[in-house]
Formats: sequence, C-alpha cells, structure tokens
Amino acid sequence: MSYIKLENLRKVYNKTIEAVKRFDLEIDKGEFIVFLGPSGCGKSTTMRMIAGLETVTGGDIFIDGESIINLEPRDRGISMIFQSYAVWPHMTVFDNVAYALKLRKLPKEQIKKIVDEVAVICDIKEHLERYPSQLSGGQRQRVAVARAIAVKPKLFLMDEPLSNLDAKLRVSMRTDLKRIHQDLGSTSIFVTHDQSEALSLADRIVVMNQGVIEQIGTPNEIYHTPESMFVAQFIGSPPANFFDVTVLVKGDKVMLSAKSFEFSVKKELEKKLKEYDGKQIVLAARPENFTVDKTGLIETEIIIVEPQGSHIVINVEVDGKEIKVVTDKLDLQVGQKIKLGLTDKYIVFDKDTTNRIY
Amino acid sequence: MNYKVKKALFYIFIFGVGFMFIIPLMYLTTTSLTSRVEINDFPRPMFPSLSHETQWEWDEANNRYTFYWENNSEEYIPLNYGDPEYLSEYLDAYLNVSITPDELEDKIESARLDGEIVDVRLSKSLFRNYGKFFDVFSGAEDAFVNSVKAAVYTIILSLSIGGSLGFAIARTNIKGKDAIGIGALIVRMFPTIAISVSAAVLLINFGLFDSMFGLAIVYSIPNIGLTAWITRGIFMGVNKELEEASLVFGASKLQTFYKITLPLVLPAFAASSMYAFITAWNDTGVALLLTNKNETLSLLLYSSIGGAGSVQYAAAGSLLLIIPALVFTFFLRKYINQLWG
Amino acid sequence: MDKIKTRKPFWKSPYMLVLPALIFYLIFWAGPVFSAVKEVFTSVDGGFSFETIFFLFEDDKFLPALGNTLLFAIVSIVLQFLLALALALFINRNFKGSSFFLFLMMIPMAIPIAAVGIIWDTGLTESGWFNSILSVTGIQWFLDTIGITDGAILWKGATGFKAIMLLVLIDTWTVLPSVMIIILAGLQNLNKEYSEAALVFGATRFQTVKHIIVPIIKPTIITALLLRIISGVQVWLIAVMVFDFDTVPFLVERIVYYNKFFYTDEYFKLSVAYSIFVMMLVMTIATIFLSANKKAERGRT
Ligand SMILES: Nc1ncnc2c1ncn2[C@@H]1O[C@H](COP(=O)(O)OP(=O)(O)OP(=O)(O)O)[C@@H](O)[C@H]1O
Ligand SMILES: [Mg+2]
Repeated sequence: MSYIKLENLRKVYNKTIEAVKRFDLEIDKGEFIVFLGPSGCGKSTTMRMIAGLETVTGGDIFIDGESIINLEPRDRGISMIFQSYAVWPHMTVFDNVAYALKLRKLPKEQIKKIVDEVAVICDIKEHLERYPSQLSGGQRQRVAVARAIAVKPKLFLMDEPLSNLDAKLRVSMRTDLKRIHQDLGSTSIFVTHDQSEALSLADRIVVMNQGVIEQIGTPNEIYHTPESMFVAQFIGSPPANFFDVTVLVKGDKVMLSAKSFEFSVKKELEKKLKEYDGKQIVLAARPENFTVDKTGLIETEIIIVEPQGSHIVINVEVDGKEIKVVTDKLDLQVGQKIKLGLTDKYIVFDKDTTNRIY
Repeated sequence: MNYKVKKALFYIFIFGVGFMFIIPLMYLTTTSLTSRVEINDFPRPMFPSLSHETQWEWDEANNRYTFYWENNSEEYIPLNYGDPEYLSEYLDAYLNVSITPDELEDKIESARLDGEIVDVRLSKSLFRNYGKFFDVFSGAEDAFVNSVKAAVYTIILSLSIGGSLGFAIARTNIKGKDAIGIGALIVRMFPTIAISVSAAVLLINFGLFDSMFGLAIVYSIPNIGLTAWITRGIFMGVNKELEEASLVFGASKLQTFYKITLPLVLPAFAASSMYAFITAWNDTGVALLLTNKNETLSLLLYSSIGGAGSVQYAAAGSLLLIIPALVFTFFLRKYINQLWG
Repeated sequence: MDKIKTRKPFWKSPYMLVLPALIFYLIFWAGPVFSAVKEVFTSVDGGFSFETIFFLFEDDKFLPALGNTLLFAIVSIVLQFLLALALALFINRNFKGSSFFLFLMMIPMAIPIAAVGIIWDTGLTESGWFNSILSVTGIQWFLDTIGITDGAILWKGATGFKAIMLLVLIDTWTVLPSVMIIILAGLQNLNKEYSEAALVFGATRFQTVKHIIVPIIKPTIITALLLRIISGVQVWLIAVMVFDFDTVPFLVERIVYYNKFFYTDEYFKLSVAYSIFVMMLVMTIATIFLSANKKAERGRT
C-alpha cells in the first residue's frame, strides 16, 4: 500500500472558483514529488489541503492509511517550507527551529541536540542567536529548511521555496535540498512553476493544468514522452515546435505531409497511424530533435542566431511560422541557407483529443 | 450546510456587534426627535414617532376644547384645554406640532358643531427640537460660532507652524532632527488640560483669556507636533525627481511648488487640518478652564446637563456637535491610527 | 566649492522654518510648565515653600483620585485590548459589507465626549434608554427572576468600584472600535504565512495568537495602548457628566474642580500641583511604554 494517497481531491472556493477539479495521486515513502504547472493551476491549493490550511471540498487524503482531512494541521505529522519562508521575525534562529519541539514538550537538552544537528545540516550553525532580520535571504531560507526538518515529519511540503532567491542561489539551494532529501529520505512534495527545478529535483513530476493532472511521471517520461500537447509544450526550454501534418498511407509506407516537407514515419508508428489516413494530426519536435546537414529535407534560411556557449539556438521559418532549433554547429550565420533534418525522437498527437498517439 | 451555518452565525455576530455600538446613538437621535410629552415614556422607543393621535371634545360648560393624547400604552389621557389660539401654542411647545390656530380649528370644529369626539392625527414637525435648542439655550448660536472659530484658528496655527517645521525636517539639512522628532512626540502626548491651568495666567497677561484664539493656542500644542509629523512624512514621500523634472522642463521654482509639490502634499494638510478641527471641536475641559463668558458648543452642552425637561434639546444640540465631528472623522479614515487617543 | 559659497541672508536659512515652532513652544508650552512648577513651590505670600506639595498629599481626595485614575486606566486598557484583539482576530477576513461595518464601528470614537456624556447621562437614568433595553429584551425580568436585581437598576447611584466599572464600560463603548481598527490594520499587514507556519508546526490557534501574532504586531499594539492609556489617565468629563463633581474623584477632575469651584490662592496652587502630577504621570507612562517598544523592536527591522 502506498504511503500517501490523495483520492479524488477537489476544492471549490466561494462556491464558484473550481481551483482543483480532480486530483488522484499515490506517493511512496521517501519519494520526492514535484507539482508543476502554470500559475493558478491549483498547485498551492492542493498542497494547502494536504497541510490542513485549506478545507477539502471533496475527496480524501490518507497518510499511512489513515484519513487526515479532519485533523488540525498540527496533528497531521507534516512540516512545511513557505514561499516567504515565514521565519518568525521576533524569534532568534534557535527559537524558530526549536518552537515546534518546545510545543511537543521535549526536554531542553534534546531540543538543543536536535537544533544543533539540523543547524549543521543546513549550515546555519553560526547564526543560531541571530534574528531573521540579520540574515540574508538565502540564510533565512536555510532556517526555514532547518525548522522543517527538525520535527522529523512524515511528509515535507514546500511551496515554491526557492522563488524568492536570486538565480544563482536558487540553483545551489536546489542542490542542497536534494542532498538533504537523499540523506534523510523524507517524503516530500515540492511545488514550483519552474520546470528546470522540477526536472532536477523530482523522482516523479505531477504536471497540472487548470485544476486537473495532465501527467504523472519521472522527469524523463515527462520530457520524452509527454502524454498531451500541453505537457509537451509546457516542458522544455525552448519549447517544442508543433506542425499540422496530414497522414498519407501510400502502400506499405505511411507519410506525414506538411506544407513544405513530407517524410515517411518511423516503423513503430506505421500501424498506429494507418487509421488516421487522410486526417490531420500534430507533429511535435523539440529543438534538439532537428539535425542541420546537407541531407536534410526542409530547406530554409536562418533568421536569428542566439549563441548559448556550448550550443546555439537558431530561429528558422518552416511552414509559415518561426521555429527554434538547437544545434552545436556554432558557426552558423544569419541569412545562411540550411537544410533541416528530423531525428526519430519526434512525437505525434491526435488533433482532437490532444493526446499522444506515439 | 456547515459552511452556510457558519456564515450565517458570522453575520449575526457582526450585525450584533455593529448594532451594540450604534444603539446609544440611535437613542440619542430618537431623543432629539422626541416631543416634550413623550420624553418620559418608558420603555423608551428606539425609533421616533412621526405623529400624535389625539381626540378632541367640546366642553360646552366652559366654552372650550379639551383634548386627549394617546400615550405609549395606548390610553388616551387628557392633556389640556382652551381655545385654538392657546392650544396651537401648546401643541408646538409640548408636542412639536406646528399648526396655526385656524388650521386647528378646521380640524376640530366638528367636535363643537356636532358635539362628538373627533379623532385627529397631528403630524410632528420632526426637527422642531433643533430650532428650539437655540431658543432654550440662549447663546447656543454664539457657542456654535465660537466652536467654529476656535477650530479654524487651530487649523491655521497648526498648519502654518507645523507645516513649515515638517518641511524643514524633511527637506533641509538642519541639525537636531532627532531632538525635534522626540519633542513632537512629547507634545503630542502632553495633557493639554493640565497645561491649561497655568496657561490661563499667561493668556490673561496676553489678553487672550476667554477668547477663541487663546483656546486655539492651547489646542495647537499637540497639533503642531502632529502636523509636523504628518507633513514630514509626505514631504519625504514626494519624489524630489518629480520636482526636478518640472524644473528641467522649464518651470520656475514657484510654479513647480504650486503645480507639482502642493497638489501632492495637499492630502497631508487636509488630514492635519481635520485633526486640528476635531481637537478643537471635541474639547470641553480646556474651554472650561480658559473661558468665562465665551462658551463653545461642547462646553454649552456640558453645562446643559441636569437641566430638567430639556433632555430632548440637549440631545438635538449633541447631534449638532456630533455631525461635523463625524463628517471630519469619516474623511480621516485613512489616517485613523494617528487620530486615535 | 564649499568655501566660496556665498553666505545666504539669515532669513533664508532653513532654521527660519523651525523658528515659529520653537517660539511657540517656548512661550506656550515651556512657559506654562515652568510657571506651574514655580507656582507650586512658592507660598501664597511669595517665598519658596513646600506648602502646596504638603497640601496635595494631605488632600483627602488625592489618594482616591490617584487610585481611581489608575484603576480606570488599567482596567479599561486591559479590557479594551483583549476585546479588541478577539474581535479583530474574528473579523480579520474579507466579508461582504466589511467596509460598512468598519465605518459603523468608527462612529462612537468620533463623538465629542460632551455628547458621549449626554448620551449616557440620559441613558443611565432610572427610566433611560439603557434600562428600556433591559426591560424590552427581557434581561431585566431575567435578572429580577434570578434575584440579581430588584426592579430597575439605579446606575447613577453606583459608587466606588462599581461606578468606575460603569465608566470603563462607557469608555469601552467609545474607543473599543478604534482599538480594534488599529489591531485589525496590524493583522492585515501581517504575512499570513507566519501564523500558518505556526499551525503547521504544532501550535493551536490560541498558541498561534499568543506566540506568533501578538509578538509580531507588538509595536503596533504598544503604540496604540500608549495613546489609549494616556487618554485613560486624563479621564474626567464622563465621570463628571454621569456622576457629577466630587463623587468619583479622578486626577484631572481634581484639577478642574479646585480650579473652578474654589477661589483662593491655595486652591489654585493645589490645582496646579495636580496638573503637574498629571503631566509627570503621563510622561512616566510614555517613557515606560516607549522603552518597552524599543525592546520589542530590538533585533528586528
Ligand atoms: N482563498 C482563495 N479564494 C478564492 N480563490 C482562490 C483562493 N486561493 C486561490 N484561489 C484561486 O484558485 C486557483 C488556484 O490557485 P493556487 O494558489 O492553487 O494556484 P497555484 O497553482 O499555486 O499558482 P501560483 O503558481 O501562481 O502560485 C486560482 O485561480 C486562484 O485564483
Ligand atoms: Mg502557489
């Protein structure tokens, strides 16, 4: 049986705003789950329902097989890192970390021992006597982490904990969080709308959109086999390119035909696409799914070149719209005529359901 | 369901709290609209009556009308008798009914002609007590004018002196800003009534005792500090670059002040003047100690208590005192934190 | 550059802006304070003496006035703070009509005290509106039945402690809403995540208020309570309007009483002595509160 189970969870605000429509998820012990989705898709709402900070409109939440939706937040065995850190300004770092332990009436020495332990883990040992106002943003963030891990929660909730940090610190905190998670093996849910954060941290990612789950999967699954056009488009930077193509069955072969190019599909796809004969589907190709060489099938001209160091991103026009292509041919110039080829990693979607065909 | 019940309970509670705080004022308003014959009703009505039910009878033997008035236990009790001339006056004085003798005669003459009892509903002139307040309390008009005068002088003193102090702290590099800040805080809290006792001697020497300007001086003691404090904040908040931009685009310094700075700081001056107004308008104690013959409205009302039979007029006067204060407080909502104390 | 700066004429100096305030406070604030001190330490016939000080301490009503004043100030501040905090916590949410509600709540504090006096002076008579409410709502009947009262309550007959509590209630009616509005403003500026964090980390709602919310908004609370207690110490008009002079003595009431009803120099000096005492009391309280505030703000900001 899974450790945590969210069953048919639903949240409606003020009877009208359906923030979370349906949410089903099972989490194993020790897993690091990331909720990913655009702003307003219901990530925070779901997390706050788990924390008990928001009432549940429908459905149930189980931890260790027990329903917790009628418990007060303090009885749920969770801890949380808030977006603003919520490190209490009138308490020293020590008191912040110790507060929850004091409420549990632990003996003084034990509290001190635990605080010292987590202070070492979070690298705030020297700041224990300071007030939050005397700390930098990153240090405050660490205090919030220390406070959260000190209580040894069954479940660890983090709502965009890194979004208030500058870019560089965000990346290094990310690594620290991952390390702490690996060391402690705590079950965690992490909310973000930053896909690179999600991809680098998660064991599994839950992609949400408009109150429903679009896909649950490992970072690789989410990236390489997105189940819907939304996921394909949301994940990846620069995002995937989409083309409307028509399926043409010519004898044995199945061809995909766009305005300016046509090619026969990979073997695995042929059977599935036969039933689409004559219909339009959507072809999605990530910028790195293209090749730039003389044998390519699409002729075009480079409009913009964006060097990124190890590779470059070029904009070219295909089928009347601009697409982005990533290549390591660093010497390409604006105005240069090139031929684009397509590797086998493309994906096709049903145009009506927007779901992946293959 | 649970949610609905909670919401309903919440609103009931809120309504109850709001009501509790408004009730005394409602009763005051009702009292101010109550005529003299109703003033001893118990329990007191929460809402004012708009008319009186009366019965009229012709007293053949004495050649006069007798009339009965329905009290709040719905009994008709005899109130008075006489000819329409006299009764019209009586109705005005005791029932707040304004009716000419001829009109009254028209209404009740069938009692005389047909020998019947006539029921007449007489509508009250609702705000009669407000007029009577000025008749009953001689000097009420002067007191009203005095209160306005004291308030206006206070505003002028506080704004001119406090405003320039505020500007100096915000915009110039004078020394001792901290000391001025602490000083402003101290005077803001200083008990004006305590200072009035010895200020009296000073004002007598200046010939300002028993004058509204003398009162305004004492009211200005906390308000200059307060004004300095508010305007300082605003002058600091007005972006200097805005002014500089105006200068760069060819305006003169004076034009810049009138066109850019003044409109931006106006709200602060408005707020400060409302405080000044309210300090002066609401005070009683200082006026009691520093005046002799020249009463303010608030002082007049204070001395009105205990006057038997005049409760309804005092209530009317109180509302005249309350309404301006209320209006100004309403405008002050944004700055309420500082007002309060 | 600085050295060749031309000297401005003195009337263009920024200190000219400070001068009016300085002169005003020297004459009308420092002057009276100084002359008050002088007045108290000179005898009626002109020499230095402690006469007035002795007179003050020997005054029968001095201790009652001091006690009543402190009792009133402390009870009312505690009561108002607790009620206002509870109310503010309860209505700290967006609900339909909240701005109208807050407007209603502001009305009592705008009312001049003379008018407050009239409201309650007429309200607390035997057949006043207060007893009317008790009677109409059945509360009177209930109290009569369980034997607490026997017929209409004679509020104005209250003396001693009861009288002061009655004044506290009147004062609470006048200022509770404003205390609540200030605390509410503090709560609304408070990041909601602070209290949510406390709830998640094991605090009950009560503990959250006590350990997190109140300490964080403490500076707001302290400033608010300071202004409140200072006006509490200056209570007199309500007492006089409801109970008349010399029945429930307060410090400021003594100032006015000795000043208005006695015409000898001794009593004038006594009234001045009371006023100095009040000034000192106010300044002492202010100092205590402000240093408490400094402590509360220490280590933050
Ligand atoms: N207290 C509330 N009352 C009413 N509507 C709310 C409330 N909180 C959130 N919502 C609405 O619910 C929806 C989901 O909000 P939620 O905060 O869960 O989004 P989110 O995915 O966390 O977005 P973000 O990435 O911007 O934080 C939004 O449309 C939001 O406007
Ligand atoms: Mg969110």
